[in-house]
Amino acid sequence: MDSVYVKRNKAGRINIKAGNKVNSVINTTVISLTLLTVIAFLLFDYTGLDIGRAVVETASNLKTMFLQPAFSHFTWREGLYQLGVTISLAVLATILGAIIAFFLALWSAVNLSNRWVSKAIKIFVAFIRAVPTVLWVLIFAIAAGLGSEAAILGMLFHSVAYLVKAFSEAFEEVDKGMLEALKSTGAGWWQTVTHAVIPSTSTYLLSWTFLRFEINFSVAVAMGAAAGAGGIGFELFMASGFYFDLREVGFITYAILLVAIVLEMMSTKLKQRYFPSAVK
Amino acid sequence: MSLLDVRGLNKSYQTDAKVLKDIHFTAETGEFLSIIGPSGAGKSTLLRCLNRLVEADDGEVIFDGQDLRQLKKKQLREARTNIGMVFQHYNLVPRLTVIENVLHGRFGYKSTFQGVLARFSEEEKERAFYLLEKLGIEAHAYKRCDQLSGGQQQRVGICRALIQDPKLILCDEPIASLDPHSSKIIMDYLKSISEEMGITCIVNLHQVEVAQSYSDRIIGLNDGSIVFDGSNLQLDQIYLKRVYGMSTRELITV
Ligand SMILES: Nc1ncnc2c1ncn2[C@@H]1O[C@H](COP(=O)(O)OP(=O)(O)O)[C@@H](O)[C@H]1O
Ligand SMILES: [Mg+2]
Repeated sequence: MDSVYVKRNKAGRINIKAGNKVNSVINTTVISLTLLTVIAFLLFDYTGLDIGRAVVETASNLKTMFLQPAFSHFTWREGLYQLGVTISLAVLATILGAIIAFFLALWSAVNLSNRWVSKAIKIFVAFIRAVPTVLWVLIFAIAAGLGSEAAILGMLFHSVAYLVKAFSEAFEEVDKGMLEALKSTGAGWWQTVTHAVIPSTSTYLLSWTFLRFEINFSVAVAMGAAAGAGGIGFELFMASGFYFDLREVGFITYAILLVAIVLEMMSTKLKQRYFPSAVK
Repeated sequence: MSLLDVRGLNKSYQTDAKVLKDIHFTAETGEFLSIIGPSGAGKSTLLRCLNRLVEADDGEVIFDGQDLRQLKKKQLREARTNIGMVFQHYNLVPRLTVIENVLHGRFGYKSTFQGVLARFSEEEKERAFYLLEKLGIEAHAYKRCDQLSGGQQQRVGICRALIQDPKLILCDEPIASLDPHSSKIIMDYLKSISEEMGITCIVNLHQVEVAQSYSDRIIGLNDGSIVFDGSNLQLDQIYLKRVYGMSTRELITV
């Protein structure tokens, strides 16, 4: 006998997923995207393109770039210095961002703040996050001019928004009972924050900050190239777009790759340690 | 005059269903008072309405001569220092040490600044160690709380309440997560707190036998109403049926 709660599909088999609608929407989306991709390739304009030659030339360019890296427009010391500039941009944006985000996150965590203040901050921050970092840099460039100031401001803006979300989620995970206990002793808000919330979340806050630093490093490289923020990104821009020096492009790419790999390794370690469920 | 005098307390959460219905009772200094009742009867809500972790809809909570429900934020903090609370899940800060957790009980006496910087006097620290010793866990003072067993954590919770120098301690199912042996230790400590230190204990319990062997007085709560208020001798099968809607014999086998 079937109870009214059992759901069956058309073939009469029992469903174990709650919503059928979500699944069918996802399926439709995937199928239409696949179709669109195929159609797009059929509609491209291929005149004047010799596929064979294109492939060979690309391969030879890549070979020069990555198998014979060298630098000619700057010295070792300058190169390292420019790399340092990029890392500093990222560090500055990350640390300032983390400090500002910490306070905003406290006020946007529903368990620590007023419901309306929390909502307001969350909406504001979601709006900032929805606009890409590069656009923020360009917006700030109107006031500060293209350069490292605009880049830092833009990166800072986006870092704050990203970290507020991450931090406030960490704060909201804090055990409700713990806050209740502190409240019942007569402890005030700041006392509860410093002695219950921070000790319980500090490792998460540090990990998120580091993860953001990793992102900010790559953004800083891009900003050097796109917004004249200086650093290794600018050298990369000059080498590729100005000198057409493929070997130098290769060299700079390797340098960036090296830093990125080190950061990636460190953040993987952090993730394994503190967010085991996030690592697949 | 009674230490605590609760008059006409009503509470409903978002829905219209009333969780507490016209609650009247008093508690004397040094009294050990148990509140029993089935799960969902409103025991936790009642306890939290007393120290205003939950705001009641109307009624009076007269504690030590003042109506707590009339107090402004700052006065409420001050009043709360006189009311300790012990929880089923201990509610300690797991990453901090035992001694740090005990000292959290002093925050109510401190300015924001002193509290944030954890400025505790030597007397306060000595008092904390004295209490840890009294509850037999001074050896663990510098351990992180998450390394302690449940029974030990609950004793830390009691120390945190005691260091407040309270006149009243509210215990929400203090032994519901503990094994029988640790439960007995905790109940014995709570009993001695009320007898030796003259601190009133109001304890939510769901084990009738435990309530009967420790309490001076028992309040039976069912569906938000007080259906029994008297000594454990008066709590017979007829009343138990009113509290739980069935006899204890059935209750124990469930
Ligand atoms: N925060 C809350 N929001 C809404 N309803 C609640 C809340 N807390 C408790 N309740 C409801 O109030 C009733 C009494 O709960 P509670 O006081 O926890 O009972 P007890 O502690 O006796 O088990 C229950 O029906 C419960 O679902
Ligand atoms: Mg309860």
